[in-house]
Amino acid sequence: MVNKKQFIAMLLAGGQGSRLGALTKHVAKPAVSFGGKYRIIDFALSNCANSGIDTVGVLTQYRPYLLNTYIGTGSSWDLDSHDGGVAILPPYATETGGQWYAGTADAIYQNLDYINLYDPDYVIILSGDHIYRMDYRKMLRTHVENNADLTIAVMTVPWEEAPRLGILAADESGRIYDFEEKPAKPKSNLASMGIYIFSKKVLEESLIADSRDADSEHDFGKNIIPTLLSQGKRLFVHRFEGFWKDVGTIPSFHETTMDLLEAQPQFDLMGKDFPILTQDDSLPPHYVGPKGSVDRSFVANGSIVLGSVEHSVVSSGSTVEEDAVVVDSILLPDVTVEKGAKVIRAIVGEGATVKAGVTFGSADVNQPIAVVGDDAVVE
Amino acid sequence: MDRVIGLIAANFETTDMGQLTEERTVASLPYGGAYRVVDFPLSNMVNSGIKTIGLITPYKYRSIIDHVGAGKPWDLDRKSGGLFVLPGSVFGIHSENSHFLLRDLRRNMIYLQRSPAPYVLVSAANVISHMDYRPIIREHIRSGADVTMVYNTCDRDEPHRLGLTVENGRVVGFKPNPRKYEDAAVDTFVITRELLMKIMEWYAAVDYLDLFEAIEGDLDKMDIHAWKYEGYVRQTFTSRDYFDYSMELLDLDVARELFSRERPLATKAQEDAPAKYLEGAKVKNSLIANGSLIEGEVDHSILFRGVKIGKGARVRNSILMQNCVIGDGAVVENVILDKSGSVNAGAVVKGTGDATYIKG
Repeated sequence: MVNKKQFIAMLLAGGQGSRLGALTKHVAKPAVSFGGKYRIIDFALSNCANSGIDTVGVLTQYRPYLLNTYIGTGSSWDLDSHDGGVAILPPYATETGGQWYAGTADAIYQNLDYINLYDPDYVIILSGDHIYRMDYRKMLRTHVENNADLTIAVMTVPWEEAPRLGILAADESGRIYDFEEKPAKPKSNLASMGIYIFSKKVLEESLIADSRDADSEHDFGKNIIPTLLSQGKRLFVHRFEGFWKDVGTIPSFHETTMDLLEAQPQFDLMGKDFPILTQDDSLPPHYVGPKGSVDRSFVANGSIVLGSVEHSVVSSGSTVEEDAVVVDSILLPDVTVEKGAKVIRAIVGEGATVKAGVTFGSADVNQPIAVVGDDAVVE
Repeated sequence: MDRVIGLIAANFETTDMGQLTEERTVASLPYGGAYRVVDFPLSNMVNSGIKTIGLITPYKYRSIIDHVGAGKPWDLDRKSGGLFVLPGSVFGIHSENSHFLLRDLRRNMIYLQRSPAPYVLVSAANVISHMDYRPIIREHIRSGADVTMVYNTCDRDEPHRLGLTVENGRVVGFKPNPRKYEDAAVDTFVITRELLMKIMEWYAAVDYLDLFEAIEGDLDKMDIHAWKYEGYVRQTFTSRDYFDYSMELLDLDVARELFSRERPLATKAQEDAPAKYLEGAKVKNSLIANGSLIEGEVDHSILFRGVKIGKGARVRNSILMQNCVIGDGAVVENVILDKSGSVNAGAVVKGTGDATYIKG
């Protein structure tokens, strides 16, 4: 017997995130390390936990191994519950065969059975790609108050970013009358954050109809939302004010991380009242040696700093050896920067090593950020 | 290691820790910037494959129960085996400085009776080490000894430890007050379960004694082997020990041994962002835990999680427990500052090299 739930979450975590290049060669984008000790998916999962959502389906597809083991029973987010909890939902086979998730909508469609198990009134569809804090309960309130079929979280973005996003237009009551996915000439700068609350019945009907449409790409932005709009359904916006970033490109990953280091950052990792939860691995405090120095940086547990770290993030379990210099860079977990090496404006993948004396990256801001993937050796 | 169950004596009580143990036990003393003292034997047991562990708590058990909970950080929240919290006695003669109080062992006899395991590995809670018990257990089983006691040679006078006379690998005598270069027990031993239960029956009338006080008279009848441990090990009995041994962690070799990623030390999970250094931070020769926010100078010190060091503040040779706040421009030297302690902006708090100032 499964208890009925009012509100459950479906978290899309199957994307490769190919624009992160070497960082997603071995892992899916939601599993990429961020902020010294987190993984990108922690932010959405923590939002669920902090919003009182206790049932979360995580849809995985691209290189899911690390993600699966990382999420485990969900205990890191207090989601290891008998009543609900976290479920990892990879593509599966049935008596008629099986297939990969063909798109975001198809991924949810193929898991309608999971959703129906809980018989929820509302389903929130999330993406495991974004850095933000959000209380989804507030969005649910907007949805219920508007008696909406679908509510889309939106924020105003700089105009130059609009062509990369889903752009919509809403009237004064918040009702959406226009939606365009990645418009060449955007008519507004109100962007979808890829967070949707559906009334379950509408979700189910629209996904079933979409599954039968041979021309559909089975995508929420390209297919489901335009169709619902054309049917005159009640689509509303939920305006979000606060920090939200898609760290899906190397420049945005680097820039967003560097902003964390400010004394008054746009996104405060240290905020206690809405904590970001993660799989904590009981590492010891970090050690700074007699000749070490650290300035304007984040340094995580398990790290050892014997050289110099300036305006950088040193993630869990990394080592900066004597006379090594790390500037404007991100060392992901378990990196070693050997004696006398220099890492400048670079992102060094998990478990990678920068050999002694080597210089990796360049202070020249006209050069791209240097990136090396997981377990690489820079010689 | 299904043939061995663990027993941790976390019921050690003392007045030599001063304010540090006013509200907590020695076992739950914060240690090494992120841990509690009991994490060491608990993790060592789990990492040695022991899956059933009894934890004897003292009367002041709130802090220790709060820390260990159901044993989840050590994977001890099991359907079969796992962590057993064994309350020590409240009544009777208050026995300070007893390492293995018979009465508390006897009170929890049922834990021993119910186990099918032939051997028990017993450790005091205050043994700071990265000990692998497996070779000791193997040797105990191979030799057929009644008891195998772990010992080492004191590198200073250590009056609170139990001195041993070891001849040809056998313990032939106990003596109090071991001095530098003398051998002493590290309060870790393997004993045959049946024998441990028998000892408790034999000495039921004098259960205010320590286990080793009791068996001292029977030494000639027992086959007690000695196992010399060559790794780093410390036992904290006094606030001086606590400060000195904590500071030894600033030696990278010691830290690397105790905090090895092989057989790692586990502790209750905490949710803190990495430590943040702002402009003006100057940190040397220190251990800094996650959640700390540093704008001042820190030298030769240990900062637990969530400590704030204000602009221009100077902290030297000190231990600041979790959530301490050092105001702008304050000076802190030779101090142990307990949890959530604060030093006002511009204030000066100094202990001397010999007399560490402990502030609650």
